[in-house]
Amino acid sequence: MDRSATSPSALMGVARGNGDAAFAAIVRCAAALILLGLGGMVAVMAWGARGAFATFGPAFIIDKAWNPVTQHFGAAAPVFGTLVTALLAIALAVPLAFGIAVWLTEIASARIAGVIGTLIQLLAAVPSIIFGMWGFAVLVPFMAHYVEPFASHTLGRMPGIGPLFRGAPYGTGFLTGGMILAVMITPFISAVMRDVFLSMPAVLKESAYGLGMTRWEVVRRIILPWSRTSVVGGIMLGLGRALGETMAITFVIGNANHIGWSLFSPGNTIASLIALEFPESAMGSLKFSSLMAAGFLLMLISLGTLVCSRLLLRTRSAGR
Amino acid sequence: MTVAEKQPVPAAISVRNLDFYYGANHALKNISIDFPQGQVTGMIGPSGCGKSTLLRVLNRMYDLYPGQRATGEVIFDGCNILGPRVNLNVLRARVGMVFQKPTPFPMSIYDNIAFGVRLHERLDRAAMDARVEDVLRRVALWPEVRDRLRDSASALSGGQQQRLCIARTIATRPEVVLLDEPTSALDPVSTARIEELLDELKADFTIAIVTHNLQQAARCADQVAFFYMGEVVEVDSADRMFTAPRENRTQDYITGRFG
Repeated sequence: MDRSATSPSALMGVARGNGDAAFAAIVRCAAALILLGLGGMVAVMAWGARGAFATFGPAFIIDKAWNPVTQHFGAAAPVFGTLVTALLAIALAVPLAFGIAVWLTEIASARIAGVIGTLIQLLAAVPSIIFGMWGFAVLVPFMAHYVEPFASHTLGRMPGIGPLFRGAPYGTGFLTGGMILAVMITPFISAVMRDVFLSMPAVLKESAYGLGMTRWEVVRRIILPWSRTSVVGGIMLGLGRALGETMAITFVIGNANHIGWSLFSPGNTIASLIALEFPESAMGSLKFSSLMAAGFLLMLISLGTLVCSRLLLRTRSAGR
Repeated sequence: MTVAEKQPVPAAISVRNLDFYYGANHALKNISIDFPQGQVTGMIGPSGCGKSTLLRVLNRMYDLYPGQRATGEVIFDGCNILGPRVNLNVLRARVGMVFQKPTPFPMSIYDNIAFGVRLHERLDRAAMDARVEDVLRRVALWPEVRDRLRDSASALSGGQQQRLCIARTIATRPEVVLLDEPTSALDPVSTARIEELLDELKADFTIAIVTHNLQQAARCADQVAFFYMGEVVEVDSADRMFTAPRENRTQDYITGRFG
């Protein structure tokens, strides 16, 4: 045994301890800065929004008007557009992402799954402005010339869901916005689903196959119940991104403050409204404050979604 | 093959000239072995010698993994199950499997059993209840779980879970039951219960069991196969295998000189 290591002088020495304490203080500051930044942002948004809330009251949230001439502002239309496009995106992206994840984990050979998995990750790395340009140049004309006229002549005549698919085929609008968002969030949702499916013990799956289940039965009866919470967490993660997405949706949403049944009609989301109008509103004006208030609402919706997603993803890792 | 000559028991499964590959790795080399009907065949040998691989061929479990392939013949019910037109879902229901670790499904005790049955049979409520009770009695689990059939199966102890998995497997009424080291994760008491169970089950099922426990093989098996480096070195009755093996490699393994 080396006695010097336990001698009193070495035990009581402080020389190296000072550096360690400083290091701990520095990293603690770094962590505190994040809290400060988040808190500061919430405070600034709330402070900036106070004018709008003082003038219009809580009715700001459900008021459909947005009229700079009469100085009358309400957030209902952009909130509606934000929710509709995000939910459309989820409705389109979840089945797609689910199919991708099942194929990658259950059916594809390891090498092909690796290649496709990487490509999907790359899709997530494409800057959103590129999606916006593609949407505007390719998707919007395609929707205007083919999809929307066709849909309004077929689906638009059906009872019940008909009103969703009627209206002038501008190409821009809620449906196109939802589709762009769906393409953008699919990689995130499928990545979460794939990781969850992969984390499932192989013997459990083999036991299921061992009883004579088909692939679909194993996915439906064993994998999905086992991973339900995490899958929902992954979907919420995608929802959070869809809610806040700005550039791509600004290009294809049509930019009209409008609430209606038709998925073809142009609309606005909170993010696209702010992107278009914020730079041209005077600091301190009522419009400026109203935009801050809309931003504040968006932040609340996004943070709420993210918190839900985290809670769901955590429950599983702690529970099993 | 001397076993088959002396005891005229027909083979439930007959493996002929089987080769198996994990990609480029040649894991089973020209294997031929019979699994006599209604008997327990114990498979022993050092780790990585191909015992579990053979089990995974018998119900085509390897099919789940691209890059694994088998050549040769495995005759079950008059068909070569390595053929391309085999219905794997039916095959796996007729050749059931129990794994090293208990694998209860994330559902209730009752549903763990009823679920597999529903895949292949339409039973009314009373018949299903009877089936569940019957298999739980056979694995001696009924007295312990009769009052909590609706509870989650994950609340059971390891030994109870493994008996549940055996019950689940026999509930679909397979002809052959494959067990891959079913007691290696269990305590001695649970192990003893499962060994007793094997003895009762062989009245109705043909059983193939992989084990690292030589005493277990000696206690449970009618016929024992010794595997070494992807080959079947020797197949004989348990009595002769453990008292008078014909091959030196078998002798070395069962006396603990390697493995």
